[in-house]
Amino acid sequence: MLDLARPKIEIRGVSKTYASEHGPVLALRGTDLTVNEGEFVSIVGPSGCGKSTLLYVVGGFLAADGDVVIDGTPIKGPGTDRGVVFQEYALFPWLTVRDNIGYGLERQGMAAAEREKIVGRLVKVIGLAGFENRYPRELSGGMKQRVAIARTLACDPAILLLDEPFGALDAQTREIMQDELLRIWLETRKTVLMVTHDVTEAVYLSNRICVMSARPGQIIEEFSVTLDRGRSREELVVSEQFNSIRNRVWLSVRRQALVAGGRNEEA
Amino acid sequence: MKKPDRLLFSAKRGVVRIVPLILFGLAWHVVCSAGLVNRDFLPAPAAVAAALADLFKGGEIARNLTITLFRATVGLVLGAICGIWIGVMMARSRRFREYVTPIVGGTYSLPKSALIPLFALWFGIGNITSIAAVFLACLLPMIVNTYHGVVTTPKVLVWSAEALGTGERELWPRIFIRNALPDIFTGLRIALGFSFVLAISAEMIASTNGIGKLIFMYGENGTYDYMFAAIVCIVIVAFFADRVLILLTRRLLVWHESAVAELDARRP
Repeated sequence: MLDLARPKIEIRGVSKTYASEHGPVLALRGTDLTVNEGEFVSIVGPSGCGKSTLLYVVGGFLAADGDVVIDGTPIKGPGTDRGVVFQEYALFPWLTVRDNIGYGLERQGMAAAEREKIVGRLVKVIGLAGFENRYPRELSGGMKQRVAIARTLACDPAILLLDEPFGALDAQTREIMQDELLRIWLETRKTVLMVTHDVTEAVYLSNRICVMSARPGQIIEEFSVTLDRGRSREELVVSEQFNSIRNRVWLSVRRQALVAGGRNEEA
Repeated sequence: MKKPDRLLFSAKRGVVRIVPLILFGLAWHVVCSAGLVNRDFLPAPAAVAAALADLFKGGEIARNLTITLFRATVGLVLGAICGIWIGVMMARSRRFREYVTPIVGGTYSLPKSALIPLFALWFGIGNITSIAAVFLACLLPMIVNTYHGVVTTPKVLVWSAEALGTGERELWPRIFIRNALPDIFTGLRIALGFSFVLAISAEMIASTNGIGKLIFMYGENGTYDYMFAAIVCIVIVAFFADRVLILLTRRLLVWHESAVAELDARRP
Protein backbone atom coordinates (compact mmCIF):
# COMPACT_ATOMS: atom_id res chain seq x y z
CA MET A 1 0.00 0.00 0.00
CA LEU A 2 2.77 2.41 0.90
CA ASP A 3 6.16 2.97 -0.57
CA LEU A 4 7.99 2.41 2.68
CA ALA A 5 11.43 2.38 1.16
CA ARG A 6 12.03 6.11 1.04
CA PRO A 7 13.22 7.57 4.36
CA LYS A 8 11.73 11.01 5.05
CA ILE A 9 13.11 11.76 8.51
CA GLU A 10 16.35 10.22 9.72
CA ILE A 11 17.33 10.80 13.32
CA ARG A 12 20.95 9.77 13.76
CA GLY A 13 22.60 9.52 17.15
CA VAL A 14 20.76 12.49 18.67
CA SER A 15 21.79 13.36 22.22
CA LYS A 16 20.52 16.29 24.22
CA THR A 17 21.71 17.60 27.56
CA TYR A 18 19.76 20.18 29.53
CA ALA A 19 21.30 22.50 32.08
CA SER A 20 19.36 22.38 35.35
CA GLU A 21 19.80 23.64 38.89
CA HIS A 22 21.20 20.25 39.88
CA GLY A 23 23.68 20.12 37.05
CA PRO A 24 23.37 18.84 33.49
CA VAL A 25 20.57 16.38 32.73
CA LEU A 26 20.92 13.95 29.84
CA ALA A 27 17.49 13.91 28.18
CA LEU A 28 18.31 11.91 25.05
CA ARG A 29 21.21 9.51 24.52
CA GLY A 30 22.19 8.52 21.01
CA THR A 31 18.63 8.22 19.69
CA ASP A 32 18.16 6.73 16.23
CA LEU A 33 14.92 6.63 14.31
CA THR A 34 13.93 6.62 10.68
CA VAL A 35 10.46 7.62 9.52
CA ASN A 36 9.59 6.72 5.95
CA GLU A 37 7.60 8.85 3.60
CA GLY A 38 3.88 8.62 4.23
CA GLU A 39 4.31 6.80 7.53
CA PHE A 40 2.48 7.69 10.74
CA VAL A 41 4.90 7.00 13.58
CA SER A 42 4.07 7.51 17.24
CA ILE A 43 6.54 7.81 20.06
CA VAL A 44 5.25 6.66 23.43
CA GLY A 45 7.08 6.42 26.72
CA PRO A 46 6.95 7.33 30.41
CA SER A 47 6.60 11.02 31.24
CA GLY A 48 9.90 12.87 31.32
CA CYS A 49 11.60 10.36 29.00
CA GLY A 50 12.52 13.03 26.48
CA LYS A 51 9.98 12.20 23.79
CA SER A 52 8.85 15.81 23.40
CA THR A 53 12.49 16.91 23.41
CA LEU A 54 13.13 14.59 20.46
CA LEU A 55 10.21 16.13 18.59
CA TYR A 56 11.51 19.68 19.27
CA VAL A 57 14.92 18.63 17.96
CA VAL A 58 13.31 17.31 14.76
CA GLY A 59 11.37 20.58 14.55
CA GLY A 60 14.66 22.44 14.67
CA PHE A 61 13.63 24.37 17.80
CA LEU A 62 16.30 22.84 20.03
CA ALA A 63 19.93 22.31 19.08
CA ALA A 64 21.30 18.86 19.90
CA ASP A 65 24.25 16.61 19.17
CA GLY A 66 23.84 14.23 16.26
CA ASP A 67 21.96 14.73 13.01
CA VAL A 68 18.39 15.14 11.90
CA VAL A 69 18.17 14.56 8.18
CA ILE A 70 15.11 15.42 6.12
CA ASP A 71 15.02 14.19 2.52
CA GLY A 72 18.76 13.59 2.69
CA THR A 73 19.66 17.08 3.96
CA PRO A 74 20.60 17.80 7.60
CA ILE A 75 18.33 20.44 9.12
CA LYS A 76 19.72 23.74 10.39
CA GLY A 77 16.67 25.06 12.20
CA PRO A 78 12.88 25.28 11.94
CA GLY A 79 11.40 25.07 8.47
CA THR A 80 8.05 25.23 6.72
CA ASP A 81 8.56 21.64 5.53
CA ARG A 82 7.73 20.56 9.08
CA GLY A 83 4.38 21.66 10.45
CA VAL A 84 3.96 21.49 14.21
CA VAL A 85 0.93 21.11 16.48
CA PHE A 86 1.44 21.55 20.21
CA GLN A 87 -0.62 20.29 23.11
CA GLU A 88 -1.24 23.87 24.29
CA TYR A 89 -2.62 24.86 20.84
CA ALA A 90 -0.16 27.76 20.54
CA LEU A 91 -2.55 29.89 18.51
CA PHE A 92 -1.60 33.54 18.20
CA PRO A 93 -4.09 35.09 20.63
CA TRP A 94 -4.04 38.47 18.87
CA LEU A 95 -5.12 37.00 15.54
CA THR A 96 -8.59 35.83 14.56
CA VAL A 97 -9.28 32.28 13.42
CA ARG A 98 -8.97 33.47 9.82
CA ASP A 99 -5.65 35.23 10.39
CA ASN A 100 -4.22 32.37 12.45
CA ILE A 101 -4.93 29.88 9.66
CA GLY A 102 -3.65 32.32 7.02
CA TYR A 103 -0.54 33.33 8.98
CA GLY A 104 1.93 30.96 7.29
CA LEU A 105 0.52 31.73 3.83
CA GLU A 106 0.89 35.43 4.47
CA ARG A 107 4.50 34.88 5.55
CA GLN A 108 5.08 33.12 2.22
CA GLY A 109 3.85 36.29 0.53
CA MET A 110 0.63 34.83 -0.86
CA ALA A 111 -1.90 37.39 -2.09
CA ALA A 112 -4.91 38.01 0.15
CA ALA A 113 -7.48 36.70 -2.34
CA GLU A 114 -5.68 33.41 -2.84
CA ARG A 115 -5.10 33.09 0.89
CA GLU A 116 -8.78 33.61 1.55
CA LYS A 117 -9.64 30.68 -0.73
CA ILE A 118 -7.39 28.25 1.15
CA VAL A 119 -8.48 29.56 4.55
CA GLY A 120 -12.13 29.31 3.54
CA ARG A 121 -11.70 25.69 2.48
CA LEU A 122 -9.83 24.74 5.68
CA VAL A 123 -12.36 26.46 7.91
CA LYS A 124 -14.98 24.23 6.36
CA VAL A 125 -12.80 21.11 6.69
CA ILE A 126 -12.44 21.71 10.45
CA GLY A 127 -16.13 22.56 10.79
CA LEU A 128 -15.63 26.11 12.01
CA ALA A 129 -17.36 28.03 9.23
CA GLY A 130 -18.90 31.13 10.80
CA PHE A 131 -16.15 31.41 13.40
CA GLU A 132 -13.61 33.11 11.12
CA ASN A 133 -13.63 36.38 13.03
CA ARG A 134 -13.43 34.92 16.52
CA TYR A 135 -10.33 35.25 18.64
CA PRO A 136 -8.77 32.14 20.22
CA ARG A 137 -9.99 33.07 23.71
CA GLU A 138 -13.57 32.75 22.47
CA LEU A 139 -13.06 29.13 21.38
CA SER A 140 -13.24 25.83 23.26
CA GLY A 141 -10.18 23.58 23.55
CA GLY A 142 -11.30 21.32 20.73
CA MET A 143 -12.02 24.27 18.44
CA LYS A 144 -8.62 25.77 19.22
CA GLN A 145 -6.85 22.55 18.36
CA ARG A 146 -8.81 22.32 15.10
CA VAL A 147 -7.62 25.81 14.20
CA ALA A 148 -4.05 24.87 15.13
CA ILE A 149 -4.22 21.85 12.83
CA ALA A 150 -5.73 23.93 10.03
CA ARG A 151 -3.02 26.58 10.50
CA THR A 152 -0.40 23.89 10.04
CA LEU A 153 -2.14 22.24 7.07
CA ALA A 154 -2.56 25.61 5.30
CA CYS A 155 1.15 25.67 4.47
CA ASP A 156 0.91 22.10 3.19
CA PRO A 157 4.04 20.81 4.95
CA ALA A 158 5.35 17.38 3.92
CA ILE A 159 5.82 16.45 7.56
CA LEU A 160 3.54 16.86 10.57
CA LEU A 161 5.09 16.92 14.04
CA LEU A 162 2.44 16.44 16.71
CA ASP A 163 3.32 17.00 20.36
CA GLU A 164 0.59 15.32 22.43
CA PRO A 165 -1.90 17.15 20.23
CA PHE A 166 -5.03 15.97 22.04
CA GLY A 167 -3.60 15.75 25.56
CA ALA A 168 -5.50 18.79 26.80
CA LEU A 169 -8.90 17.71 25.48
CA ASP A 170 -11.68 15.81 27.20
CA ALA A 171 -12.11 12.14 26.25
CA GLN A 172 -15.03 12.60 23.83
CA THR A 173 -13.50 15.54 21.99
CA ARG A 174 -10.21 13.67 21.83
CA GLU A 175 -11.79 10.73 19.99
CA ILE A 176 -13.51 13.01 17.50
CA MET A 177 -10.25 14.84 16.87
CA GLN A 178 -8.37 11.56 16.43
CA ASP A 179 -10.87 10.50 13.77
CA GLU A 180 -10.48 13.83 12.01
CA LEU A 181 -6.70 13.53 12.08
CA LEU A 182 -6.90 9.98 10.76
CA ARG A 183 -9.15 11.12 7.93
CA ILE A 184 -6.81 13.98 7.04
CA TRP A 185 -3.83 11.64 7.11
CA LEU A 186 -5.54 9.05 4.93
CA GLU A 187 -6.39 11.80 2.44
CA THR A 188 -3.06 13.58 2.35
CA ARG A 189 -0.63 10.79 3.28
CA LYS A 190 1.71 13.19 4.97
CA THR A 191 4.60 11.86 7.01
CA VAL A 192 3.58 12.14 10.65
CA LEU A 193 5.67 11.92 13.81
CA MET A 194 3.49 12.09 16.90
CA VAL A 195 4.41 12.10 20.57
CA THR A 196 1.75 10.84 22.96
CA HIS A 197 1.40 9.14 26.32
CA ASP A 198 -1.92 7.59 25.27
CA VAL A 199 -1.19 4.06 24.06
CA THR A 200 -4.70 3.52 22.64
CA GLU A 201 -4.38 6.72 20.64
CA ALA A 202 -0.99 5.61 19.29
CA VAL A 203 -2.34 2.21 18.20
CA TYR A 204 -5.47 3.72 16.68
CA LEU A 205 -3.57 6.26 14.56
CA SER A 206 -0.12 4.90 13.71
CA ASN A 207 1.60 2.54 11.30
CA ARG A 208 4.42 2.12 13.73
CA ILE A 209 4.91 2.77 17.43
CA CYS A 210 8.27 3.44 19.03
CA VAL A 211 8.61 2.99 22.77
CA MET A 212 11.11 5.23 24.46
CA SER A 213 13.11 4.23 27.52
CA ALA A 214 13.13 6.12 30.78
CA ARG A 215 15.54 9.07 30.81
CA PRO A 216 17.99 9.31 29.09
CA GLY A 217 15.63 8.50 26.26
CA GLN A 218 16.33 6.01 23.52
CA ILE A 219 13.99 4.06 21.27
CA ILE A 220 14.06 0.59 22.80
CA GLU A 221 11.21 -1.22 21.14
CA GLU A 222 9.16 -0.85 17.97
CA PHE A 223 5.74 -2.19 17.08
CA SER A 224 4.37 -2.36 13.63
CA VAL A 225 0.62 -1.74 13.47
CA THR A 226 -1.36 -3.27 10.67
CA LEU A 227 -5.03 -2.54 11.09
CA ASP A 228 -7.79 -2.53 8.55
CA ARG A 229 -8.38 1.23 8.27
CA GLY A 230 -11.64 0.59 6.47
CA ARG A 231 -13.26 -0.54 9.71
CA SER A 232 -15.05 1.81 12.04
CA ARG A 233 -13.65 2.83 15.37
CA GLU A 234 -16.29 0.82 17.20
CA GLU A 235 -15.31 -2.38 15.41
CA LEU A 236 -11.60 -1.69 15.62
CA VAL A 237 -11.22 -1.00 19.32
CA VAL A 238 -12.96 -4.21 20.36
CA SER A 239 -11.07 -6.36 17.84
CA GLU A 240 -8.59 -9.00 18.94
CA GLN A 241 -5.97 -7.54 16.60
CA PHE A 242 -6.23 -4.04 18.08
CA ASN A 243 -6.15 -5.15 21.68
CA SER A 244 -3.25 -7.53 21.33
CA ILE A 245 -1.04 -4.74 19.96
CA ARG A 246 -2.39 -2.30 22.52
CA ASN A 247 -1.53 -4.67 25.37
CA ARG A 248 1.96 -5.35 24.13
CA VAL A 249 2.74 -1.66 23.75
CA TRP A 250 1.16 -0.91 27.10
CA LEU A 251 3.32 -3.52 28.85
CA SER A 252 6.44 -2.19 27.20
CA VAL A 253 5.67 1.40 28.30
CA ARG A 254 4.77 0.22 31.78
CA ARG A 255 8.11 -1.52 32.21
CA GLN A 256 9.85 1.77 31.39
CA ALA A 257 7.55 3.75 33.65
CA LEU A 258 8.39 1.41 36.54
CA VAL A 259 12.10 1.90 35.87
CA ALA A 260 11.59 5.67 35.88
CA GLY A 261 9.37 5.49 38.97
CA GLY A 262 11.84 3.36 40.91
CA ARG A 263 14.60 5.79 40.11
CA ASN A 264 12.57 8.73 41.33
CA GLU A 265 11.90 6.99 44.61
CA GLU A 266 15.60 6.36 45.15
CA ALA A 267 16.33 10.05 44.56
CA MET B 1 -28.49 42.65 23.29
CA LYS B 2 -30.51 45.34 21.51
CA LYS B 3 -29.11 48.84 21.23
CA PRO B 4 -31.62 50.72 23.45
CA ASP B 5 -31.12 48.12 26.18
CA ARG B 6 -27.41 48.69 26.13
CA LEU B 7 -27.84 52.45 26.31
CA LEU B 8 -30.17 52.09 29.26
CA PHE B 9 -27.70 49.77 30.91
CA SER B 10 -24.79 52.19 30.48
CA ALA B 11 -26.94 55.05 31.73
CA LYS B 12 -27.86 53.05 34.83
CA ARG B 13 -24.23 52.24 35.49
CA GLY B 14 -23.30 55.89 35.05
CA VAL B 15 -25.88 56.88 37.67
CA VAL B 16 -24.63 54.23 40.08
CA ARG B 17 -21.12 55.60 39.70
CA ILE B 18 -22.09 59.21 40.23
CA VAL B 19 -24.20 58.68 43.37
CA PRO B 20 -21.22 58.29 45.76
CA LEU B 21 -19.69 61.47 44.32
CA ILE B 22 -22.90 63.41 44.92
CA LEU B 23 -23.09 62.06 48.48
CA PHE B 24 -19.49 63.10 49.02
CA GLY B 25 -20.25 66.62 47.79
CA LEU B 26 -23.33 66.78 50.02
CA ALA B 27 -21.36 65.66 53.08
CA TRP B 28 -18.75 68.30 52.31
CA HIS B 29 -21.46 70.94 52.01
CA VAL B 30 -23.10 69.90 55.29
CA VAL B 31 -19.81 69.88 57.17
CA CYS B 32 -19.05 73.41 55.94
CA SER B 33 -22.46 74.95 56.44
CA ALA B 34 -22.83 73.41 59.92
CA GLY B 35 -19.70 75.26 60.91
CA LEU B 36 -17.88 72.08 61.94
CA VAL B 37 -14.68 73.35 60.35
CA ASN B 38 -13.07 76.70 59.78
CA ARG B 39 -14.31 77.90 56.38
CA ASP B 40 -10.95 79.51 55.69
CA PHE B 41 -9.31 76.13 55.71
CA LEU B 42 -12.04 74.10 54.05
CA PRO B 43 -14.07 76.21 51.64
CA ALA B 44 -17.63 75.13 50.85
CA PRO B 45 -18.36 73.44 47.51
CA ALA B 46 -20.25 76.51 46.34
CA ALA B 47 -17.24 78.74 47.04
CA VAL B 48 -14.98 76.38 45.11
CA ALA B 49 -17.43 76.37 42.19
CA ALA B 50 -17.45 80.17 42.18
CA ALA B 51 -13.66 80.25 42.20
CA LEU B 52 -13.59 77.72 39.39
CA ALA B 53 -15.92 79.87 37.28
CA ASP B 54 -13.74 82.87 37.97
CA LEU B 55 -10.57 81.03 36.98
CA PHE B 56 -12.20 79.86 33.76
CA LYS B 57 -13.38 83.35 32.90
CA GLY B 58 -9.94 84.81 33.39
CA GLY B 59 -8.40 82.10 31.19
CA GLU B 60 -5.99 81.17 33.96
CA ILE B 61 -7.07 77.55 34.02
CA ALA B 62 -6.85 77.09 30.28
CA ARG B 63 -3.42 78.69 30.09
CA ASN B 64 -1.85 76.78 32.96
CA LEU B 65 -3.57 73.52 32.18
CA THR B 66 -2.17 73.64 28.65
CA ILE B 67 1.32 74.11 30.06
CA THR B 68 0.96 71.25 32.53
CA LEU B 69 -0.55 68.92 29.94
CA PHE B 70 2.24 69.78 27.52
CA ARG B 71 4.90 68.86 30.09
CA ALA B 72 3.13 65.69 31.20
CA THR B 73 2.48 64.54 27.63
CA VAL B 74 6.00 65.18 26.33
CA GLY B 75 7.53 63.44 29.36
CA LEU B 76 5.11 60.53 29.07
CA VAL B 77 5.60 60.03 25.34
CA LEU B 78 9.40 60.24 25.57
CA GLY B 79 9.42 58.00 28.64
CA ALA B 80 7.17 55.46 26.94
CA ILE B 81 9.22 55.35 23.74
CA CYS B 82 12.53 55.02 25.59
CA GLY B 83 11.07 52.61 28.14
CA ILE B 84 9.70 50.28 25.46
CA TRP B 85 13.01 50.43 23.63
CA ILE B 86 15.07 49.68 26.75
CA GLY B 87 12.68 46.89 27.79
CA VAL B 88 12.93 45.26 24.36
CA MET B 89 16.72 45.62 24.33
CA MET B 90 16.93 44.03 27.77
CA ALA B 91 15.04 41.04 26.47
CA ARG B 92 17.11 40.89 23.27
CA SER B 93 20.63 41.27 24.56
CA ARG B 94 22.04 39.51 27.55
CA ARG B 95 24.90 41.97 27.92
CA PHE B 96 22.56 44.97 27.77
CA ARG B 97 20.36 43.33 30.40
CA GLU B 98 23.30 42.70 32.70
CA TYR B 99 24.23 46.37 32.57
CA VAL B 100 20.75 47.81 32.87
CA THR B 101 19.11 45.49 35.42
CA PRO B 102 21.00 46.80 38.49
CA ILE B 103 20.26 50.40 37.47
CA VAL B 104 16.56 49.68 36.94
CA GLY B 105 16.37 47.69 40.18
CA GLY B 106 18.19 50.42 42.11
CA THR B 107 16.08 53.32 40.86
CA TYR B 108 12.70 51.60 40.59
CA SER B 109 11.53 52.34 44.12
CA LEU B 110 13.21 55.75 44.32
CA PRO B 111 10.57 58.49 44.63
CA LYS B 112 11.42 60.46 41.49
CA SER B 113 10.15 63.71 43.03
CA ALA B 114 13.24 63.63 45.28
CA LEU B 115 15.28 64.46 42.20
CA ILE B 116 13.33 67.59 41.24
CA PRO B 117 15.60 70.02 43.17
CA LEU B 118 18.59 68.45 41.46
CA PHE B 119 16.94 68.78 38.05
CA ALA B 120 16.13 72.41 38.85
CA LEU B 121 19.82 72.95 39.52
CA TRP B 122 20.79 71.33 36.23
CA PHE B 123 18.00 72.44 33.93
CA GLY B 124 16.74 75.60 35.63
CA ILE B 125 13.16 76.63 36.33
CA GLY B 126 10.54 75.59 33.80
CA ASN B 127 9.77 73.08 31.07
CA ILE B 128 12.93 70.99 30.97
CA THR B 129 12.95 70.24 34.70
CA SER B 130 9.28 69.21 34.70
CA ILE B 131 9.62 67.11 31.56
CA ALA B 132 12.77 65.40 32.86
CA ALA B 133 11.00 64.48 36.11
CA VAL B 134 7.96 63.11 34.24
CA PHE B 135 10.21 61.29 31.78
CA LEU B 136 12.14 59.51 34.51
CA ALA B 137 9.02 58.53 36.43
CA CYS B 138 7.36 57.11 33.29
CA LEU B 139 10.49 55.38 32.06
CA LEU B 140 10.78 52.75 34.77
CA PRO B 141 7.27 51.23 34.70
CA MET B 142 7.53 51.14 30.91
CA ILE B 143 10.86 49.30 31.01
CA VAL B 144 9.74 46.78 33.60
CA ASN B 145 6.38 46.01 31.97
CA THR B 146 7.73 45.82 28.41
CA TYR B 147 10.52 43.50 29.48
CA HIS B 148 8.09 41.28 31.38
CA GLY B 149 5.70 41.14 28.43
CA VAL B 150 8.45 40.10 26.02
CA VAL B 151 10.15 37.47 28.16
CA THR B 152 6.86 35.80 29.10
CA THR B 153 6.13 35.02 25.44
CA PRO B 154 5.31 31.29 25.43
CA LYS B 155 7.98 29.22 23.70
CA VAL B 156 5.37 27.36 21.66
CA LEU B 157 4.19 30.64 20.10
CA VAL B 158 7.73 31.46 19.00
CA TRP B 159 8.26 27.94 17.70
CA SER B 160 4.93 27.93 15.87
CA ALA B 161 5.82 31.23 14.21
CA GLU B 162 9.22 29.86 13.20
CA ALA B 163 7.73 26.68 11.79
CA LEU B 164 5.34 28.86 9.77
CA GLY B 165 8.20 30.74 8.16
CA THR B 166 8.85 33.69 10.49
CA GLY B 167 12.49 34.78 10.49
CA GLU B 168 14.45 35.87 13.56
CA ARG B 169 14.01 39.60 12.86
CA GLU B 170 10.32 39.29 12.03
CA LEU B 171 9.68 37.55 15.36
CA TRP B 172 10.05 40.89 17.14
CA PRO B 173 7.22 42.87 15.58
CA ARG B 174 5.01 39.83 14.93
CA ILE B 175 5.34 37.81 18.12
CA PHE B 176 7.30 39.36 20.98
CA ILE B 177 5.92 42.91 20.79
CA ARG B 178 2.40 41.65 20.15
CA ASN B 179 2.63 39.40 23.17
CA ALA B 180 3.98 42.28 25.27
CA LEU B 181 1.21 44.73 24.30
CA PRO B 182 -1.10 44.02 27.27
CA ASP B 183 1.83 44.56 29.64
CA ILE B 184 2.92 47.66 27.75
CA PHE B 185 -0.56 49.12 28.21
CA THR B 186 -0.47 48.26 31.90
CA GLY B 187 2.83 50.14 32.08
CA LEU B 188 1.29 53.06 30.19
CA ARG B 189 -1.54 53.34 32.67
CA ILE B 190 0.88 53.43 35.59
CA ALA B 191 3.07 55.93 33.72
CA LEU B 192 0.06 58.14 32.96
CA GLY B 193 -0.67 58.43 36.68
CA PHE B 194 2.96 59.22 37.43
CA SER B 195 3.07 61.83 34.67
CA PHE B 196 0.47 63.99 36.42
CA VAL B 197 2.02 63.52 39.85
CA LEU B 198 5.49 64.50 38.66
CA ALA B 199 4.41 67.34 36.40
CA ILE B 200 2.51 68.94 39.28
CA SER B 201 5.22 68.31 41.88
CA ALA B 202 7.89 69.75 39.60
CA GLU B 203 5.76 72.82 38.98
CA MET B 204 5.26 73.37 42.69
CA ILE B 205 9.01 73.25 43.28
CA ALA B 206 10.58 74.64 40.15
CA SER B 207 8.25 76.53 37.85
CA THR B 208 6.65 79.90 37.32
CA ASN B 209 3.52 78.51 35.72
CA GLY B 210 1.35 75.39 35.30
CA ILE B 211 -1.45 73.99 37.44
CA GLY B 212 1.03 72.84 40.08
CA LYS B 213 2.33 76.36 40.49
CA LEU B 214 -1.26 77.68 40.59
CA ILE B 215 -2.20 75.28 43.39
CA PHE B 216 0.94 76.10 45.30
CA MET B 217 0.51 79.83 44.87
CA TYR B 218 -3.12 79.93 46.01
CA GLY B 219 -2.14 77.75 48.97
CA GLU B 220 0.62 80.16 49.93
CA ASN B 221 -1.72 83.12 49.61
CA GLY B 222 -4.37 81.41 51.70
CA THR B 223 -7.01 81.61 48.96
CA TYR B 224 -8.08 78.05 49.54
CA ASP B 225 -11.24 78.20 47.44
CA TYR B 226 -9.07 78.97 44.39
CA MET B 227 -6.59 76.28 45.39
CA PHE B 228 -9.41 73.75 45.60
CA ALA B 229 -10.73 74.89 42.25
CA ALA B 230 -7.36 74.22 40.62
CA ILE B 231 -7.16 70.81 42.30
CA VAL B 232 -10.65 69.90 41.08
CA CYS B 233 -9.59 70.81 37.56
CA ILE B 234 -6.56 68.59 37.50
CA VAL B 235 -8.49 65.72 39.13
CA ILE B 236 -11.09 65.86 36.36
CA VAL B 237 -8.47 66.05 33.61
CA ALA B 238 -6.45 63.15 35.06
CA PHE B 239 -9.60 61.07 35.44
CA PHE B 240 -10.61 61.56 31.82
CA ALA B 241 -7.08 60.91 30.57
CA ASP B 242 -7.17 57.57 32.40
CA ARG B 243 -10.61 56.69 30.96
CA VAL B 244 -9.43 57.52 27.44
CA LEU B 245 -6.44 55.24 27.88
CA ILE B 246 -8.66 52.42 29.16
CA LEU B 247 -11.01 52.79 26.19
CA LEU B 248 -8.05 52.81 23.83
CA THR B 249 -6.61 49.70 25.47
CA ARG B 250 -9.92 47.90 25.14
CA ARG B 251 -10.20 48.88 21.51
CA LEU B 252 -6.68 47.72 20.68
CA LEU B 253 -6.63 44.59 22.83
CA VAL B 254 -10.03 43.04 22.09
CA TRP B 255 -8.23 39.74 21.70
CA HIS B 256 -6.93 39.80 25.24
CA GLU B 257 -8.53 38.32 28.37
CA SER B 258 -8.54 41.68 30.12
CA ALA B 259 -11.18 42.83 27.64
CA VAL B 260 -13.44 39.90 28.53
CA ALA B 261 -14.51 41.03 31.97
CA GLU B 262 -15.94 44.25 30.62
CA LEU B 263 -17.64 42.56 27.67
CA ASP B 264 -19.18 39.94 29.96
CA ALA B 265 -20.48 42.64 32.26
CA ARG B 266 -22.38 44.10 29.32
CA ARG B 267 -24.04 40.82 28.47
CA PRO B 268 -27.52 40.20 29.84
